[in-house]
Amino acid sequence: MKLQYNPRQRWLIGSVLLTTLYLPSAVAEVKLNGFASIRGTSVSSDGGATPYPGYEEGELSFKTESLFAIQASADLSEGLSATVQLFGEGATDFEVDARWAYFSYQLNDTHRLSAGRFANPIFHQSEYEKVGYAHNFSRLPKAVYIGLDFSTIEGIAVDSQFNIGDYSLQTKVLYGGWSGEVFSVVTNSAVGFGLDNIMSANATLAGDWWQLFGGIFAAEIDGAVIDSTTVFPLAAGGIALATANGATTAQIADFRNRIGWNEKDAFYWFSGFAVDYSNWLVDFEYVDYSVQESTDALNKSWYLALGHRFDNVVVTIHTEDYAQEADYGFLSGVAHPVLQATGRGIHNAFAQREFDGVGLSVRYDFHPSAAFKADYFKGTDTRATVDDYQLISFGVDLVF
Amino acid sequence: MKNRILVLSTLLTTLGSAMAFAEVAVIVHPSNANALDAATVAKIYLGREKSFADGQSVVPMSLVETAPSSASFNDVVLKKSASQLKAYWSKLVFTGKGTPPKELATEEEMLKLVAGNPSLIGFVDASKVDASVKVAFKF
Repeated sequence: MKLQYNPRQRWLIGSVLLTTLYLPSAVAEVKLNGFASIRGTSVSSDGGATPYPGYEEGELSFKTESLFAIQASADLSEGLSATVQLFGEGATDFEVDARWAYFSYQLNDTHRLSAGRFANPIFHQSEYEKVGYAHNFSRLPKAVYIGLDFSTIEGIAVDSQFNIGDYSLQTKVLYGGWSGEVFSVVTNSAVGFGLDNIMSANATLAGDWWQLFGGIFAAEIDGAVIDSTTVFPLAAGGIALATANGATTAQIADFRNRIGWNEKDAFYWFSGFAVDYSNWLVDFEYVDYSVQESTDALNKSWYLALGHRFDNVVVTIHTEDYAQEADYGFLSGVAHPVLQATGRGIHNAFAQREFDGVGLSVRYDFHPSAAFKADYFKGTDTRATVDDYQLISFGVDLVF
Repeated sequence: MKNRILVLSTLLTTLGSAMAFAEVAVIVHPSNANALDAATVAKIYLGREKSFADGQSVVPMSLVETAPSSASFNDVVLKKSASQLKAYWSKLVFTGKGTPPKELATEEEMLKLVAGNPSLIGFVDASKVDASVKVAFKF
């Protein structure tokens, strides 16, 4: 997906860039950090199609999972700072994007307010999903971290840090919005899509060797374009057949309201735990999400990982499951059998993609700022065009 | 034979001492009256605690990762390797949730800065400590 910046986004990115990069050093201390991944990835499937968008089936590619980012952060003193992160990845031809551009203000020891363009904490590790060095996988398990388009949003957020005896509690509340484009399989092109009134809250409670976390993300879908280009065209044949078989105008209008996504609410939940005890590592995360009362199916996915740290080598095995649950409740009250069947057919189409699998990952910290990683993943996709598939990758994750 | 055992044991003792971590002192400004233990210092250095117990804001200072005191401090107080620490800070730096302590090049610089600012906390090789700073604890 390529974001088209609207005037508000351009102003925001421009003002943070100017503040961060062009302030005289006497006024602000500017810190430069960055991260990069150079990874060769090979994907093969029995069905011949790639299991994940952006991956090339049957080829070893050094582009698919390679990326880089440079982040500049200007400390403007008195708790105020400006941060901009320029990011490019092979999946988008290394086109550089101002992924983050925000101002932060440390209100007190506990709370920090941020405003601008920043990561959307959809799930527990979404905010640092692209920073390979920060975790032990070659890629975070796809069943949960499948690459949702709205990973960067504009808004306002409050991060808080509490100490409760020996435990620490981190929370984040956020309000914002997102507008961009998503790929439509019907038009075979990117179409406009948006999320309004995004509200999210999450919390992580941690002890010395464990973490418990959970969060919710809710938004109203701005989906008039995807309805008109994708959802309604899928229903066009069924609607025509129903009309020919006596469906009334009122029934058709009611049906369109039920199957459309525009102005419906989307809910995302995540919860899980992490353990790092005597060099044994366990991670579990469960997520579920859907566009409520629409043709979208309820997604229920999770991963479980067990790892062991041998000095500067970490070996991790994991299993993951990306599952959809059909729920025809949005069609209750649709009496016409053709419309009922059409609605179910579209719902089933959205729910058809499921996959699961197991993976083995090895991380070797060969340098204070670099880790070599290699992994093997074997999965099964419910789509016949994919079926059983395998991923092999190796590469280096850097931070600086 | 006796002599050989004596030489060997002396050699082993010398080698062992050289390989062991030198004693490290956590230091603060002489006016700082707060009681500090390893758990509290770990919270400060991991960005989870922003003030001393008396309410005075705290700014942790670190040494470059090649300094022997750094390895010892990371291992004993923070209970993390240099790589684990870098991964920990990567999560915070690239999500805007925190920045790691500033790294100083020398222990002399650490002593000078801590001696001049009641908000600072640092650590140095215990043998380098002088009267300009207060030792919170040694390990």
